[in-house]
Amino acid sequence: MSLITVSVLAQTKISGLVKDAKGEVLPGVNVLIKNSYDGTSSGVDGSFSFVTEEKGKQAIVATFIGYKTFEQEVDLSSKELQFSIQLREEINQLDAVVISAGSFTAGEEKRRTILKAIDIATTAGATADIAGALNTLPGTQKVGESGRLFVRGGDGNEARTFIDGMAVLDAYGPAAPNTPSRGRFLPFMFKGTSFSTGGYSAEYGQALSSALVLNSKDKAEMNQTDIGQLSVGADVAHTQVWEKASWTGKVQYTDIRPYFGLINQRVDWKTPPVAVEGSTAFRQMVGKGLIKFFGNFNRSSFSLYNHDILDSDIKQQFDLVNNYRYGNLSYQTALNSSWDLRSGVSYTLNQNNVKLDDVPMNEIEKGIHAKSVLEHSISDRVEVRFGGEVIDRNYEVSRVDLVSNQTQTQSFHEAITASFAEVEMYASKQLVAKIGGRYEYNSLSLQSTVDPRISLAYKPSKKGQFSFAYGNFRQSPKNQYLRNNNQLASEQAEHYILNYQIINDRKTFRIEGYYKRYSDLVKFTNGDPFLMTNSGKGYAKGIELFWRDSQTIKNVDYWFSYSYLDTKRDYLNYPSAAVPTFASSHNFSIVYKHFVKAIKSQLGFTYSYSSGRPYFNPNLASEKFQSERTPSYQDLSANVSYLPKNWLIIYVSCTNLTGRDNVFGYEYSAQPNSNGEYVSQGVRQPASRFLFMGVLITLSKNKSINQLPNL
Amino acid sequence: MKTGTLILAMTISLMSLANDGKYLEVMNKNIEAVYKGQTIEELQQAVNTLNRVADAEKTKWEPYYYSAFGSVMMANREKDAIKKDGYLDLALVAVEKAKAINENESEIIAMEGFIHMIRLTVDPATRGQQYSGMAMQNFGKAIELNPENPRALSLLAQMQFGTARFFNSPATEACGTVTKALEKFETFKSENPLAPVWGKGMTEALKKNCQ
Repeated sequence: MSLITVSVLAQTKISGLVKDAKGEVLPGVNVLIKNSYDGTSSGVDGSFSFVTEEKGKQAIVATFIGYKTFEQEVDLSSKELQFSIQLREEINQLDAVVISAGSFTAGEEKRRTILKAIDIATTAGATADIAGALNTLPGTQKVGESGRLFVRGGDGNEARTFIDGMAVLDAYGPAAPNTPSRGRFLPFMFKGTSFSTGGYSAEYGQALSSALVLNSKDKAEMNQTDIGQLSVGADVAHTQVWEKASWTGKVQYTDIRPYFGLINQRVDWKTPPVAVEGSTAFRQMVGKGLIKFFGNFNRSSFSLYNHDILDSDIKQQFDLVNNYRYGNLSYQTALNSSWDLRSGVSYTLNQNNVKLDDVPMNEIEKGIHAKSVLEHSISDRVEVRFGGEVIDRNYEVSRVDLVSNQTQTQSFHEAITASFAEVEMYASKQLVAKIGGRYEYNSLSLQSTVDPRISLAYKPSKKGQFSFAYGNFRQSPKNQYLRNNNQLASEQAEHYILNYQIINDRKTFRIEGYYKRYSDLVKFTNGDPFLMTNSGKGYAKGIELFWRDSQTIKNVDYWFSYSYLDTKRDYLNYPSAAVPTFASSHNFSIVYKHFVKAIKSQLGFTYSYSSGRPYFNPNLASEKFQSERTPSYQDLSANVSYLPKNWLIIYVSCTNLTGRDNVFGYEYSAQPNSNGEYVSQGVRQPASRFLFMGVLITLSKNKSINQLPNL
Repeated sequence: MKTGTLILAMTISLMSLANDGKYLEVMNKNIEAVYKGQTIEELQQAVNTLNRVADAEKTKWEPYYYSAFGSVMMANREKDAIKKDGYLDLALVAVEKAKAINENESEIIAMEGFIHMIRLTVDPATRGQQYSGMAMQNFGKAIELNPENPRALSLLAQMQFGTARFFNSPATEACGTVTKALEKFETFKSENPLAPVWGKGMTEALKKNCQ
C-alpha cells in the first residue's frame, strides 16, 4: 500500500500591469482567480504579481470602483503568466455628464443637482406651492394675478404637470378671476421634481413650453400622524406602514373667511373660499416592483361681486363651485436585469359650476390617460426607451341663453394616441446624446404627426459642461377655443436651447440661451372669436443666468436668477404681432435661506422683480396695440420656520412685506364714459400682503422625524 | 484497503482543517487590517482580500461584513463627496450579500445602519430626513435581534446625539444609551471566533459628551 502523499501542486506565477482606457496605471485593483482566495491588489505603479495553485482553465478577474469588472479565461498550465489588463470606465450617474438643457432637476438622488427636493418646499413667498417656488428659477415670468407657471414667453396652459409619468389635466385649484390659484399638489408628496423650461423628452407631449415632472415618494418607512393648524384651515394626515406596503390618508379643510375678516381685501367677497379636500396614497411592493396609487378629491366654493369700472354701484355676482377628482395608478418594475417597465393610468374629473348673477354656466372635463413605457439597457452606455399612450378627454360646457331661456351646450371628445421612442448613448463619461421621436394621432383634428427630440451634453473638464436640446412640441388649443371649433389643429412650438453650467458641491453657475418658434396658433378671423383658424404665429427668445452658493456664508444658502425675454405673438384678436400681456422683458429673483441655530429657526427671504408688462388700452389706435407697460412688479417675501421640539414646527410667512401696490395689468370699462374715453382699472393683488401662519405637529414612535420637508 | 481509506479520510479531514485554518488565518489578518488601516490604500488591499475570500467561500457572511466595514472606513477617509458615496455603495453591496447569507444577524443589520449614517453626513441638509429614519430603523431592528449587541447601541447613541445637537436639546437619552452600550461592551461574548469586536473606543469618546 502506498502512502497517499500530498504532492506539491504545480504553481503558476501571474503578473502584469493594470491600466485604464487612456493608458493610465491603476493602483488598488483587485486582481484574482475567480472563486479562489488567490489574488492581490495592484501596486501604486499598476503592477501586480501573485502565485496560484489552481490548475487548468480558470478565469482571471479584475475589479475596481468606478470601472467595469474585467474577466478573461486563461489556462494555468505554465509556470509563469504575464498579463495586461485594461479596465473600462463604468458610466455611473454620479459624475458622468448629464443632459441639462432646459431642465432643472431636484431629488434625493446622489447626483449633484441644482435644486434639492426640500428647496421646493422652503422658498419664501411660495407658501409651499410648487409653482410659487419654481417661479424663482430662470425661465419663468411672474404673472401674479394668475399663480400659474408661465415659461419663456408661453401662456400658463403651455406648462403641463405629470405625476409618476401620468398627465394631470388641471393641476391648479380654482380661483376667482384675477386672483391667483394654488397648485393642487403639495411638495411633501414628491421625492423628485424635474422642471423643464423646454426641450423635454419624447415621452411627454401636449405641452408647448414646459413639462413639470413630479415623482411621488415610494413606500413610507414610518408610522406617523401629522396635524396642522393653519391660519386658513386645518389638516390631519396619517401614515401606516407594513412590511411591504404603506398607506397615507389626509383630510384638509380650508376656510379663508376668518383670515379675510382680519385683513382687508380688495376683492368684494360675498363668501370667501372654502374647500374640503381628501387625499390618499397607497404603495404596495409586488415582487421586484412597486404599485402606487394616489387619489384626491376636492370641493371648493366661493362667491364674490365684480363691480363695473364706470359705475361701481353696478355689480355682478360670481359664484363658483368646483369639484375635482384625480386618481393615478402606476406600476413600475424591473422585468429582468436589463429591462424595466413603467405603466400607469390616471383619471381626472374637473367640474366648474359657475353662476353669473344666478345664470348658471357649467363646465366639465373628464380625462383618462393610459401609458406604458419599456426601458432597456443595451449596455452600460446605451439605453433605449419606448412606449405608447392614449389621452382621452371629454369636455362639455353648457349655459343658459338669457333671451330664449334655453340651455346651450358645446362639447367635444378628443382622443390622442401617441407612441414615442428614444435612445440615450454615452460615448464616454464626457459625452452623451439622446435622440428620440414622438408620433401623435389626434381624433378631433384628424392629424397624424411625428416630432423629433434631440439633446446632447458634453463635459470638457471636470466641473463644467455644455448642453444642447432641440425639439418640436405640439398641444391642442385651449378648451375655450376647441369647443367653438372642433377641427382646430394643434398649436406648435419649435425649441432650440444651449446652455453651459458648472456644479460644484456647494456652488452652481448656469447660463442658457434659447429660441422658440411658435406656429399654428389660434387666431380670430377679423377679430371674430367664433371664426378661428390656426394662422397665428410668434417667437420667443432669451438668455438666462443662475447662480447658487451654499458655501461662502456659513449656514446660508442663496440663489440668484435672471431671465431676459424677447417675445411677440400674432394670435387671437391681435391686429398684428405684439408682446402678449403675460410677458415681461426682465425677471429676476434672489432667494436667501439662513438656518440660525441659536433660535432654532430657518429664516428665508425672497425678492422678486419683473419689468412692466404690456396691456391693451382701447383708447389708443390699433397701431399702438400693447404698446404701454405697467409699472414694474416687485415683491419682498419672508418666512420663518421655528423648531422648538423635533415634533413641532411653527411657521409664519408673509408676502410683499413693503406693501408695494403691484399692478399686473389694466382692465377697461366695456363702454366709454361721457368723455368718450374708456376708463381703466388696475388688476392688483387681492390684498397688499398675504400673511400665513401654521403649527405643525408630527406624532410618531421615531422621534427624529418631523414635518420640516412638508413645509 | 481499510487502512488506505482511513488514511485518505484522515488526510482529507486534515486538509479541510488546514483549509479552515487558512480561512481563519486570512480572515484574522485582514480583520486586523480593516480595524487598524490608516490610509485608503491599506484599507483597499484588505477589502480586496476580504472580497476574494467572500466570493470563494460563498456561504460565510463574515468576509462580506468586514469588507463592508473596510469600505465604510475608506468612505470616512475620503474627502470627495462623489467618491465617498461610491465607497458607501460598495459597502452596501457587501452588506446585501451578507444579509442574503444570514438575514437575522444583528451585526449585519447594525452595519447597514452604519452605512446609512455615514451617507447622511455627506449632505445632511438634503439627506437628514431620509437617512436618519432608515438608520434608526436599522439600529432598532439590530437591538431587537440581539439586545446584547454593543455596537448597535453605540451607533444608536451617535444618532441620538446628532438629533439633540440639531435641536439644541439636552442629550439625556443619548447619554443613557451610551452608558448601556459601554456595559454591553464589558459583557459581550460570542462563540464566533470572527465576531466583531470594534467600537469601544468610539463609544468611550461619545461618553465624554456626558458629564
